[in-house]
Amino acid sequence: MFRDVNASIKEPTIIGILGRSGQGKSTLLRILGRLLHPDAGKVFLEKKEMALWDAKAWRMKISYVAQQAVMLPGSVEDNLRTVSTLHQRPFDKKFASDLMEQLYMEEIDWSKPAAQLSGGEKQRLALVRSLLLQPPVLLLDEVTASLDMKSKQAAERLLVNLHRQTGTTLIWVTHDLEEARVACKRIWFMANHQLAEDAECEAFFHSPQSVEAREFLQDGNVHAALSEVKR
Amino acid sequence: MTHTFTFSYMWLLFAYAFVFIALLLSVWQKLGLEKDILIGTIRSTVQLLAIGYVLHFVFAADSVWFIFVIILMMILVASWNATSRAKHLSGIFWRISLSLGITEIITMGLLVVLGLVSPTPQYLIPMSGMIIGSSMIVTSLFLTHMNREVEASRGEIETLLCLGATTRQAVHVVLKRAVKASMIPTFDTMKTIGLVQLPGMMTGMIVAGASPIEAVRYQILIMLSFSSSAAISAVLISMLSYQLWFTRDSMLHS
Repeated sequence: MFRDVNASIKEPTIIGILGRSGQGKSTLLRILGRLLHPDAGKVFLEKKEMALWDAKAWRMKISYVAQQAVMLPGSVEDNLRTVSTLHQRPFDKKFASDLMEQLYMEEIDWSKPAAQLSGGEKQRLALVRSLLLQPPVLLLDEVTASLDMKSKQAAERLLVNLHRQTGTTLIWVTHDLEEARVACKRIWFMANHQLAEDAECEAFFHSPQSVEAREFLQDGNVHAALSEVKR
Repeated sequence: MTHTFTFSYMWLLFAYAFVFIALLLSVWQKLGLEKDILIGTIRSTVQLLAIGYVLHFVFAADSVWFIFVIILMMILVASWNATSRAKHLSGIFWRISLSLGITEIITMGLLVVLGLVSPTPQYLIPMSGMIIGSSMIVTSLFLTHMNREVEASRGEIETLLCLGATTRQAVHVVLKRAVKASMIPTFDTMKTIGLVQLPGMMTGMIVAGASPIEAVRYQILIMLSFSSSAAISAVLISMLSYQLWFTRDSMLHS
């Protein structure tokens, strides 16, 4: 899928992973989230190799949020309570309500079966459910892709604020260049099945180093312009 | 008036007329099952005659060791058979053997301790065979359901893992569904027994000349013990095996 991915994160940040489909962006996130084994190479967290970490402890620190939101059996509230049930923590209802409100979900009946929510509602609920874990690192796999513009902007605002307030590091796969430009501080650009660029966000968008990145941004800008015209 | 048939080998030969009917139908309808019918006939005859002579010898010897060896053999053959449902799970064989062994010890132990069954080979071996056989079916069903459930609920399991669940927590609901599904046929059979089918043990006892009331008493006993053996074997194999669907570092096998 990919090779030669060498990168490190020294302080809390927001990293956007960009690249064309099939470059292994989601695979990279799933490896980091300890859902897939890398064929080769090592991943370190706090200077300790992944294999030396207890799997549960690792996932409490680095939590993956999937592109396709999966609802757990039961109601909206059951889903919200998952983290507190799993870890026998008291359920912070106020915090959960606040997050739901920020994602325009305050009208949702918590007793409603989660399976009956719309696609966008499921995606937002899945995001809130993961935020309630409060991990130091969140792996976001196109989590705003199925949201309407208003919900998408709310989710972006919430995540950026979360980073600012708590120092949560976000590693964010997205196909939305505008989202990456506004929300991210650093870009990992994947091309030719490797990490082609690791640059500051502004530097990447203003002066991409590789031909692939220039072409990718050009195509992205054309698409953005076209969708702007359509609107 | 009661007629008692004595089965000589000559009589037994006539029974092969049934196989002949099956063969004729297979040839006539071009089912292509002739080979399977012949192999099945030969194997069942040889296996049953062999076990008949073995049991004849064991009953005459009346030795605890022979009983032990026969029951151990039953457990190993049942485990080997159930393993075919989950060949991809390394280490499943000994886990099935252990769960069947414990089920047998608890169920037969209770039957003997409560004085419901006489601790003689004539009772211990056939009843053990029935308990191990029924537990083997429960175990096979569990493995089949679990394979299907894990595949269907992969997203659910991974979501829970991502929220910091242990493998046990992540697979809990799926495990419960598989355990339940594997036990349902046993309890469904209990609901219709005597109405839809007359079970083999009871039929055998009646044919052999026992009173139907006596036969029914033993059948009730064996049915009730099936309910506990189904529950014990399903829960045990689920507890012993769920980890096998995960890698060493708690990822779902791809």
